[in-house]
Amino acid sequence: MSFLAVNRVKKVYWGERKEEVIALADLSFACEQGEFLCIVGPTGCGKTTLLRLIAGLERPTSGEIHIQDKIVDGLNLDTTLVFQQYSLLPWRNVIDNVAFSMEMKNINKKERYAEASQFISLVGLRGFEQAFPYELSGGMQQRVAIARALAHNPKLLLLDEPFGALDERTRHRLQEELLTIWQQQTKTIVFVTHTIDEAVFLASRILVMRDRPGRIETEYKISLPRPRKRRSKEFLDVHIKIREDLEKILTTDDKGGDAL
Amino acid sequence: MLPLIIIGAWEYFAVRADNPALLPRVEAVINRLVHPFADLLDTGSYVRHVIVSASRVVLGFILAALIGIPLGLLVGRYLLFHRLFSPIIEILRPLCPIAWIPFAMAIFKTYTIAEVFGVRYTTTIFGHIQLGMLFVIFYGGFFPIFLNTIHGVKSVKNIFIESALLLGAEQHKLFRKVIFPASLPAILTGLRVGLGISWMVIIAAEMLPGSDAGIGYLIMFSYQLAEMDILIASMILIGAVGALLSYGVKFMSDRTSVWQAKER
Repeated sequence: MSFLAVNRVKKVYWGERKEEVIALADLSFACEQGEFLCIVGPTGCGKTTLLRLIAGLERPTSGEIHIQDKIVDGLNLDTTLVFQQYSLLPWRNVIDNVAFSMEMKNINKKERYAEASQFISLVGLRGFEQAFPYELSGGMQQRVAIARALAHNPKLLLLDEPFGALDERTRHRLQEELLTIWQQQTKTIVFVTHTIDEAVFLASRILVMRDRPGRIETEYKISLPRPRKRRSKEFLDVHIKIREDLEKILTTDDKGGDAL
Repeated sequence: MLPLIIIGAWEYFAVRADNPALLPRVEAVINRLVHPFADLLDTGSYVRHVIVSASRVVLGFILAALIGIPLGLLVGRYLLFHRLFSPIIEILRPLCPIAWIPFAMAIFKTYTIAEVFGVRYTTTIFGHIQLGMLFVIFYGGFFPIFLNTIHGVKSVKNIFIESALLLGAEQHKLFRKVIFPASLPAILTGLRVGLGISWMVIIAAEMLPGSDAGIGYLIMFSYQLAEMDILIASMILIGAVGALLSYGVKFMSDRTSVWQAKER
């Protein structure tokens, strides 16, 4: 069985007027160990919901999620999630934020600081150990959030548009850093984004979702050699192909020609 | 500027009235304030009265904090506790602490802490801390602390809680490492307001019969003897001590919650 298996997962919310809102309908996919899986789709297609289900923050209405053959039934120590919004604890400095998960495991201070410093260096923030989140730029805060997630040593790292709020240059730099980390640490990553460019640059495979209700439309295997060049013809070809498919999804929606 | 105008007007009327039992001269009041250790009307000095009042307040206030904070954390976090406490809270909250003073006097009479512990005659401060006063101070301090703590817990950002859970935090650690520090600024606001109210309530409580010392007692006593300079100097002291207490807590809270001020 695959490392991560999502089987016919359905998620229903109750709307404001007590109506059923189907966030995800019969969604299935699998992800192998060491894969860098990107999920793209229009806003509101249930990407975030999907990640929250995999992380165990919420439970599916029906269907099952398995990680290494174990059913996901609430939070588990093998998975962690990096949010799009800034999520660092503002009363803790960088090193205490990064060391948080080790503190939860009762690892002594000396040991967890030594370990945390390594992760801080890994995300390029050496020298900022004592800084507080409010003293850092958005990009630096997300780096700390990634370091904090890595220090937890999850087998599966989920990222929910972690670079969404950053400017383009910072975003590109962090994408490269994330790839380096992924290659060094051999993590399995599921990365949600709504920018195709980001997905094509990062992913070994891309799932395209559509909305109302959220489900997986198609998938692409991206076998472009790394490091990928954004301006190469191959990169642009893949980019345009996915863009066209996504536009098709969006236009069928506009005409109200929803299949379900 | 404004204080100067007030003092000017006060002096003007004092000279015109020419009656120290009605409105003393500014100088007479200042003269009282610069001798804080001088005995007043055979009741002790200002310092002694302030210490007595402050001890009552601090003790009652510590009790209020010790019960208000943990209870607020529970009520803010768990729906069960919220359901259990909210009807009582809604009834008790509009009930002013001063309204409790006669009740507290009836129930607790003039028992002091020292007497509760079996010491009948004592010159220590505990001989001046009446249970009834402690009760009303506790009551006055409790609600601001309790309600602000609840508010603090309820406004902890969900993303902090979820992040901590995702990083392996268990319930008791979540409380200690996330919910408590995140609500600390609100808790400290509650402490500051609570301390202010306690200080107001004690003055009122000390004015009532059965009181034997304290700055509120001194005010009432000097009123009865028409010693207006002592009375006004006492009022100034009450204001000054109250402001000092408030600044003390504010100083503490500014140091512990820098992050909150800096966060946008």
